[in-house]
Formats: sequence, C-alpha cells, structure tokens
Amino acid sequence: MQSRWLIPVGAAVAAQAAFATQYLSVQQAQQEAFAGASEFRLVSAADAAARAAIGAPAGWAPQVFEARAGEKKLGWLIVDQVIGKSEAITYALALDAAGAVISLEVLDYRESHGSEVRMPAWRKQFVGKTAADAAALGREVKIISGATLSCRHLTEGVQRLLRWYEVALKAPA
Amino acid sequence: MKRNSLTLAILMSCTGLASNAHADDTKLQAEVDALRAEVVELRGLVHELQSQRAPAQAASPVSGAALPNAPLPSAFAAANAVPAPAVSQPAATTAAGDAIPGTGGSGLALGANTSLWGYGQLDYNRPTKRISDTQADLTRAVIGFNHVFDENTRVYGELEWEHAVASSTDRGESEVEQLYVEHALAQNYGMRVGLTLVPLGLLNEHHEPGNFYGVERNFVEQAIIPSTWREGGVSMYGNTDWGFNWNVGIGTGPNLGAWDPAADEGRLSPLGSIHQELQLAKARDPSLYAAANWQGVPGLLLGGGVFTGKIGQGDAVLPVNRSRLILSEAHLRWQPGPFDFSALYTRGTISNTQDLNLQFLGQPTPVPKSFWGGYVQGAWRALEWGSDSSLSPFLRYEMFNTAAAYAAQPQGLGTAPLPTQRVWTLGANYYLNPNVVFKVDYQKFRYEDLVLGYGNRFDLGLGYQF
Repeated sequence: MQSRWLIPVGAAVAAQAAFATQYLSVQQAQQEAFAGASEFRLVSAADAAARAAIGAPAGWAPQVFEARAGEKKLGWLIVDQVIGKSEAITYALALDAAGAVISLEVLDYRESHGSEVRMPAWRKQFVGKTAADAAALGREVKIISGATLSCRHLTEGVQRLLRWYEVALKAPA
Repeated sequence: MKRNSLTLAILMSCTGLASNAHADDTKLQAEVDALRAEVVELRGLVHELQSQRAPAQAASPVSGAALPNAPLPSAFAAANAVPAPAVSQPAATTAAGDAIPGTGGSGLALGANTSLWGYGQLDYNRPTKRISDTQADLTRAVIGFNHVFDENTRVYGELEWEHAVASSTDRGESEVEQLYVEHALAQNYGMRVGLTLVPLGLLNEHHEPGNFYGVERNFVEQAIIPSTWREGGVSMYGNTDWGFNWNVGIGTGPNLGAWDPAADEGRLSPLGSIHQELQLAKARDPSLYAAANWQGVPGLLLGGGVFTGKIGQGDAVLPVNRSRLILSEAHLRWQPGPFDFSALYTRGTISNTQDLNLQFLGQPTPVPKSFWGGYVQGAWRALEWGSDSSLSPFLRYEMFNTAAAYAAQPQGLGTAPLPTQRVWTLGANYYLNPNVVFKVDYQKFRYEDLVLGYGNRFDLGLGYQF
C-alpha cells in the first residue's frame, strides 16, 4: 500500500508563502497530547532498516518527539505530512508508551475543500488504535463526503506512523 | 547552528566577566545574576523563534500529489536537516534531522507556490435500440491550478476542454470553470471573489469522475441543478468543529432573456440553457445563495441550499423583469462501512412567466413554471485488492421533470407539461486506485426522447483525477 500520498516531509526551505490554515503549532500539539511532559526529545528517523521495513519514501523525514516526564517515558508525538488532494496536510499523531493512539491533530491544512478531517468526531476514530490495527484502519475509518481523499490519505499516514512505531520506536520485548 | 552561536556568545561573555573577577563578591554576584537573567531571556527568545519557524516550515508548499504508479511525490524543496522544531522547556535534545533531501518534482509543481491538478473523463455510450447512435467522446479534460500569494490568499482556477476539439467548426467547448481569489479571514472562515461553483447538491462542487457512480453524472444534477454550475460574485464560507459548514454568496444569476423557445435545450435543462457562466454576463439583478451541510457524525452528510434571484436582467424587449428563480435542494449521504447511500431532492420555480410565454406561443419550449428531480442511490464496495483497488457496484433510481408545470396558457394553444422521466442505472465503478476509475453501467429510461438523448443505453467510461 505504501503509498503514493505519503509525501516525504522536508526539510528546511527558504521562506515560502503557503496558503495554509494553521490550527495548532507543533508546540501546542505537544502540550495538548502530553500536558505532564517535562521534555520533548527529538528522535532521529534515519534508521535505514526501519525505513525500508515500512517502505518509507526517500526524503521522508517526520519529526519524532519522545515525550518524557523526568525519566519516565510518556509516549511519542510524531509530526508528518500527507497530501490531501493536491496540497499537504501537516498532522501530529500522539502515541502512548505502549504505542496506542492518544490523539490525531491536524496542524496545517491547505486545500480549499476537505478540511472536515479536522473535526474531532472524525479524528476520534483513531484513538486507541495500535500497530496491530493499522491494516484494518483503511476499511474501518469512516470517510467524510467531500473530503474523501483527505480522509483516505490521512488514514494512510496514521497507518504509516503506527508501523513506524512498531519497527523503530517500540522497546524490544 | 543558531543555538551554537548563542552558546558561544554566552561563553565569551562569561569569559569577559571572569576577567573582571577581582571586583568584590557582591558585584560579581550581581553581574552573574544579571547574566543569568539575560540567558533566560535569550532562551525564551530562541524558543519563540523556533516556534515561529516550525510552522513556517510545516507550511512550506508541497510539490503536489503523485500520479498513481508515478515516482514518489516530490518533497518539500530539497534542503536538508530539519532545524530544531518547536519544543517546550526544557530544551529538547536535538538530534540531527534526516539529511535526506527531497525526491524532486513529480511534474505537478510550478515553482514553490503554484501547483497543478486535473481530471478527465472519456465516455462510450451505446443506445441499445439505436446502435447507429453509438458515440465515443473525450467528454472533458481539465487542468486546474492553485497559486498561493501568501498565508491567507490564493488564486484557484479550473480550465476545461469539452469534447476534445473546440473551434468555430467543432462542437467542443473551451471554458474557465472556476477562477477565484480566496482569502482566509480567520481559521474557520474566509471569502472568495470571482467565478465559483454554486454549492448546491452533492455533485456540483465535487464533480470529478472518481466522485460519482456511473459513466455520466446523474440526470437530476444535470437537468435540474445544472452541473457544473458556476456564477461570478462574492461568497463567504466557514465551518465549525462540530461539522457544520456554510457558504453564502451574492453574484450573477441566469438570464431569462436568453431563453430560446425554439430550441430543445430548455427542456433538457431549464437553468442549463440560460446560465451565463460569467461570459459577458448580464448582471443587473444579483442572485443570492446559501448552503449548509452537517457532517458531525463521520460517514454522514446532511445538507441543503437555496439559490434565488430575479433573472430578467433588465431585458428591454421581453416581459421578464418580474421573474424570479428559486431553486432549492436537500441531500443526504451515508457511508457506513463498505456501503454508500445517497439521496437528493431539488425543485425550482420561475415566477411571472405567463406574459413571456405568450410571446413564445407556437414554439416547442416555453419557460416552465416549475421543475424538479430526485434520486436515491446505493453502492457497495464489494471487492478490494490491497488498499487501492476496489470494485463498487451501484444502483440508482432517478425521477425528474424539467417542465412539470407552465403558467396559465391560452386555452387550446398551450404546451402540455412534460411527462416525468424515470431512469434506473445499474453499474459498477472499478477503482484501479482511488484516482483512476473505470466505469460500466446500463441505463433504463421510462420513455425515449431522441432529441433529449433519453433511451436505454449501455455506457463505458474512464475517469482520472490528480
């Protein structure tokens, strides 16, 4: 399935204009998902074997933060992008220490239509899902009429990140 | 990098401070305190800068979506190393970001702030009783663009060619289907100025072939709501977190003065025959529209809208100035699991047509007083291959009447209202991937009308969008 809509996230760019509605900053998303965190440690997503295992496209560079409260690991917040219809959607997936979805937030949305993926009722469908549920998400997640591609591609993005947890973040048993 | 320079600067300050350590302890302590305060302040500034930069990066334009089976979509422009993203205190441990550059353009980006999109549709129609009328057509090829001026402003356009060739001796058309400037006024609402799609029905705003079942668009949303229906003007749109979307606008409307009583087009689609498409549009009488949708429960869509306006447009010859169009519609779409149900009802009226129709006596197509249509449709994603390919059979039943009633006519000289057409469509959409669809269907009509193209037929189609 991997996944033509899952764009690799860049990289620094010279300041460019972009029609975008920013609903949350990365920092706000961190605070909302992990209110008790004392630190968000940036984790590299460069592990080549893990990237190959999930079929990550070249150039894919999510921002992966490990949320900690002192020495205690609370979970992860991963900021990634997918293409909605033709523009990128920036989203943040928060996973708890066991890899289950705490929340999915849309940070930036750039399409003229389809921003309904922002609706809490739609995003709530992902809460509690784990890597074990990833395969079934494509069938289970209900689509919003008029936002079909945004829904579909965001779902695929979440699937990708759940798999990333499985191969790159999960503590060895 | 910035962080390193900052640290260096602070260290240098400290060194300088140390060299003055001969001063008494109190003075030293005061200076250390001042320095500490400065460090805290600087740290705050750094965080502020980072949080400003992170969204800017996130908002960097993307080079567009990928075509199926094409190389991976392009990344952001290709520099590397994500700078330290916004973090909460204490400062994050900054790992080096991926140093993998983007994969380059997919052919859809036109510079940093402009992207292209498009769709197309090819049809084959074979009437089962008049096989000699079988026709193949490149129904439409569309290129759209989106150019971003700044964070809040963009221009959005859709350019279309219908029936492959457009020239003075061909039947194709070349047209601008949408062209507007959009300005976001806040997170949840904004405005558009220009040529925009009228937000009525399920199809008009979402008319790409992958979005509807069947080779052709349904009849109701062609004959009654004249998709693709667009008007020039100003509109406002917005949405709420609980799934309520709204769109209101003021702008041009149809021109009743352009009604041709000798042609068949008015019977095919009353509004389709007099819409102006912002082509030197007569614009004396502004029209208004309002539409709302609720999607608070995932998978469910409930909505409706009204379009109204005087449509005489100040015609000096015809008695049309008091005529008002009101077109309203309500729709429902429910997509539980693999199922996809939808229903729509729409009704239009044009007032004060009696005097106008008197002038059209003897002609085949007077102006209707009322016209309406509705359909119900069910589809089922019956088979799936991987996450991309699927086969969805569907069944649709439509009823519509483009001239359900006429204003009072002189006895014995009038035109009878049209009979209500009823169409069953049974078919399937096969999605090779979500953006390439092959379609097949069979349509059964209640009655034939060669002029209007009604008659049982078998259709094949191909559609794509990107």
